[in-house]
Order: sequence, then structure tokens, then C-alpha cells
Amino acid sequence: MLEVKNLSKDFGGLQIIRDLSLKVEAGERRVILGPNGAGKTTLFHLLAGTLAPSQGEIRFDGAAIGALNAVRRARLGMARSYQKNNLFESLTIRENLMLAASAALGKSGKLFRDPRHDAAVKARIDEIAEQIALTETLDAQVSTAPYGIRRQLEVGIALATKPKLLLMDEPTSGVGPSMIDHFHRLLNQLPRSITLLIIEHDMDLAFDVADRISVLNFGEKLFEGTPTETKGNAMVRSIYLGEREGGEHNA
Amino acid sequence: MFYQSPLRTITLIAALCFLAIYASFGSYFAREIVIEIIILAILAISLDFCAGFGGMVSLCHGAMMGIAAYFYGMMSVKLGWGLTASAGIGLAAAVIFAGCVGWVTARISGIFFIMATLAFGQMAYTIFFRWRWLGGDDGMGGMRRFDLSAWGVNLNDGLIFTFWALGILLLVYILSALLLRSGFGRSLSGIHANEGRMQALGINTATIRTQAMAFSGLMAGLAGILAAQHTFYISPELLVWTLSGEVLLVVILGGIGTLVGPIIGAILLVLMKHSISAYTDYWHIFVGLVLIFAVLSGGRGIFGQGEYWWQKYMRGQHA
Repeated sequence: MLEVKNLSKDFGGLQIIRDLSLKVEAGERRVILGPNGAGKTTLFHLLAGTLAPSQGEIRFDGAAIGALNAVRRARLGMARSYQKNNLFESLTIRENLMLAASAALGKSGKLFRDPRHDAAVKARIDEIAEQIALTETLDAQVSTAPYGIRRQLEVGIALATKPKLLLMDEPTSGVGPSMIDHFHRLLNQLPRSITLLIIEHDMDLAFDVADRISVLNFGEKLFEGTPTETKGNAMVRSIYLGEREGGEHNA
Repeated sequence: MFYQSPLRTITLIAALCFLAIYASFGSYFAREIVIEIIILAILAISLDFCAGFGGMVSLCHGAMMGIAAYFYGMMSVKLGWGLTASAGIGLAAAVIFAGCVGWVTARISGIFFIMATLAFGQMAYTIFFRWRWLGGDDGMGGMRRFDLSAWGVNLNDGLIFTFWALGILLLVYILSALLLRSGFGRSLSGIHANEGRMQALGINTATIRTQAMAFSGLMAGLAGILAAQHTFYISPELLVWTLSGEVLLVVILGGIGTLVGPIIGAILLVLMKHSISAYTDYWHIFVGLVLIFAVLSGGRGIFGQGEYWWQKYMRGQHA
């Protein structure tokens, strides 16, 4: 599904990603762990095509995609939700989802046909709104919506494209426990036709959702294994989970 | 994102009726004013299309208009082509120019976009200013109006020509409205709101922006052909950037991103100009004061502010 070989990225003299290799199977839930500055978000930029790698190869669905720009990669079925909300601020929640749904359903360039009245687009908006629990607030303005709702929408825009691969960068950052629970359920309900790559700091969520976990530190892959293996690994505990034994919550 | 609300429809109909009545019952001079308003309004709608909905604040809309007018004049007067074919060439030239500007500037925004369009517009201005074959800085005359006598319509009659122009204004509004509510227009609004996220959704934003500029050029071109047929004369002054600036002023005065606001802005600007210039040559001072007032009071413009109050009032009714 996704294969990364010997990927490196440096900014000037600073190496953010060093010789990183990853292999994610179709349908897999892969969680990326790592302390701040480990290069997790940079890795997502490289995968999505918003940054060019200094070295290395990226294969998606068997094809080398290193030369494709972000638009072409999105069209292959790669979607992304952002660590910092990256929404259409001046529009309503419904309009945000409509833009994503029209893009995925090929209605974005159509002249003289309003996607608002398109049955497929409408169905997609309703479906996603229900998934992210925003059915009641669809017509609210994004710029004045509370943070939690904006966070849900951030994930909703990415989900509305029905991607093959979904890159989620700290989807629960800054939200309260009830929304983390809701989000947890949402992840469990997503069909296995979507492969998930998640950067996550909530340990309960990460260990429960993940099939496999990759731990990054200073741009290198430190460890990779099942949640149980990860919990038991001494090196991971010392570097990522810190001194706290058990390390249940590490912000 | 664009919606043709009932308030906008009512305002559009009221504005068109006002212009029709003013022209019908006014003098020759009133009809001249109405046509001046119509040409400015078409240009302003064309600019609102890409600036208000796509975030592309262009300072070369005068040039788009002027290029269409010049190509119409060149084909029909200098080369003796038929009027319809000449108009087609004129429109095509404006579309190609606008499309090229859009394509080259598709990856830049903000102040750099404005400067780039200014440069393109001034280049076009310089070309026609120097081109002696087309009259250079003296301009060029001899354009004719379409011959619609087969349909029993004589466009050389001042009032009929005014209604013809009014029809084109309505056509331009409908075309813009249909495009803005289409998938293409919604994407354009999405690019205005967050271009990076649109790309992450797999939308080729450069293509949408280029197409939007080309459509805008088509509408500006219609204004150009109307202007050439109105006065039977064209000059490089059509292309100079201050005209584009005046169009932007009209858009902001009427309400940017409202589509019907620019018509209100054009009516106000031209009426103010003619009523104040009867007393003083410094009418620009008063226009400037009104503009400063419009910008300071929220930047929504005359129609935009009215629409804002109306929506607030309606929400109050429902709550």
C-alpha cells in the first residue's frame, strides 16, 4: 500500500528525517509516535507531496509517486488532516464538506451545475456529517464555531474524499476527553478500505487503535512493532514515554 | 460562496428598472449617463467575479476591455470584416489576454498578484498607445453598431441602444451567477478561502484560477465592444490602469463579493460624478470621502452593508 525507502529530508544542514523506511499494508492502522521535533509532521509533508524529500523513494499502491505534486497524490486517493486546523474559514461547515465531496466525486470543475443540488454530493455530506457528529451544526459559520467542532470538521474534510490512505496529524490535539472518546469510536468504525496513518499523542487511543506502531526520534525510526511489543520495549519507554512508569498520558 | 438570494434578485430588478426608466424618460444626456453606468457595471461585475469570489484583485480589467474594443475596431474598420465576426475576434482576444494573465499569475497572490496584473495592463496600454496604424495616442474612430434591422431593431436609435446595453448587462449578470453557483464557481470560492487545502483535496487550483480570469475577460470584453459601438471611437485611455482602479473602486463601493453590489456602485459613482461635477471639478474628493466611509464602516460596501443588516434583522425575527 505505502512503502517508504531510505527517505531523508534536510533543511540546510539540519536533518529532520534520516534514512527512514516504512511499509504499511492495505487496511492497516499505523500509529506514528515520537516526541516533539521527531519529524512526524515533516514525514507527512513528504508523503503528501507538500515538501520534496532530499533523498529516498515513496511508493503508493505499487507506483512511485516521488515525482508527483500534492494535487496528483490527492487524486490517487491520499487525504490528510492537519495538526493545526486548516479549514475554509469564511464558509459554513456544509460548504466545507461540499468542497471536499465535490472534489472527490469529480464535480469541482463542472460549469453551470450546482453541486449543492447534486444527489451524490448531498448524500456524502450527510454521511460524513453524521460520522463526525456535526449534523445539527451544518449551517454554522466555521470562523465562529467552537474549537472542538472545528477539530471534528478538520477530520471530516479529509474523510469526505473517501481516501484509500488517510494521514491524520494529531487529530485529537487540544480537545477534551469526551471528544477523544467519540473520535476513538469513529476510528474503530472506519472501514478497512481506508488505510490509516495517525500521529497521536493520546496513548490509550494509540495503543488501542494501532495494528502496528512506529516510533520516531530525531528523524530516525527507533522501533516498530505491535502495541504490546511497543509497550514492552525499554528503549521506547525511556525515550518517548519518559521517566513516568506506564506513561499513560504524555502530552 | 455565491447565493442568488431574493434580496439580490430584488435589488437587481430594481436597479435595471431604475436605469430603464431613467433612460426612457430622460434626455439624450440621461441616456449617455445610463450607458456609461452600464459599461462600468459590466466591468465591475467582471472584476467582482474574480476579485470578490476568487480573491484575484486585478488591475488590468481596463486592458481586457480595451483589447476587445481595439480588436473589434481593427477587424471591422481596418480589415473590413463583418461586425459579428469582428466582435467574436475582439472577445477572443480579451479572453486570451485574460487567460494568459491568469495562467502566469496562477501561483501568486496578494500584492504581487496586483502588481503583476498592473504590469500586464500597462504593457497592453503601451502597445496600443504606440501603434500608429491603429491611431496610436489619437485613438481611432469609424466603429459601427450591429445591424439588427432584420429583426426590426435599429441600434442607432439612442434609446434602443440603451436597452440593448441593458440586456447585455443582464446577460453578464446571469452568466456570472450561473458560473459562480456551479462546481467551478464553488471551487473558486474554496480557493479564495484556502488555496492550500483545495490542492490537498486534489483540485488543480491553477487551472480554476486561469479559467476564472478567462471568463472575467469575456465579460470585460463585452463591455469593450459595447463601449466601442457606443461612441464609435476608441482610444488607449480605455486600457490605462486608472480606469481599472476606478472599476475596483466601484466594486468596493457597491459591495465586493455580492455580484449585484457592483451595479449599485456603478450607478452611485456615475451619478455622483455628474451631479457634483456640475458645481466643482474636484468631484473625486467627494467620491474619495464616500469610499473612505464605505471602507471604514466594515468594508462591505453599500449593498453589502444593507445585505448584512437585512440578514441580521431576519435572524432576529427567527430567534
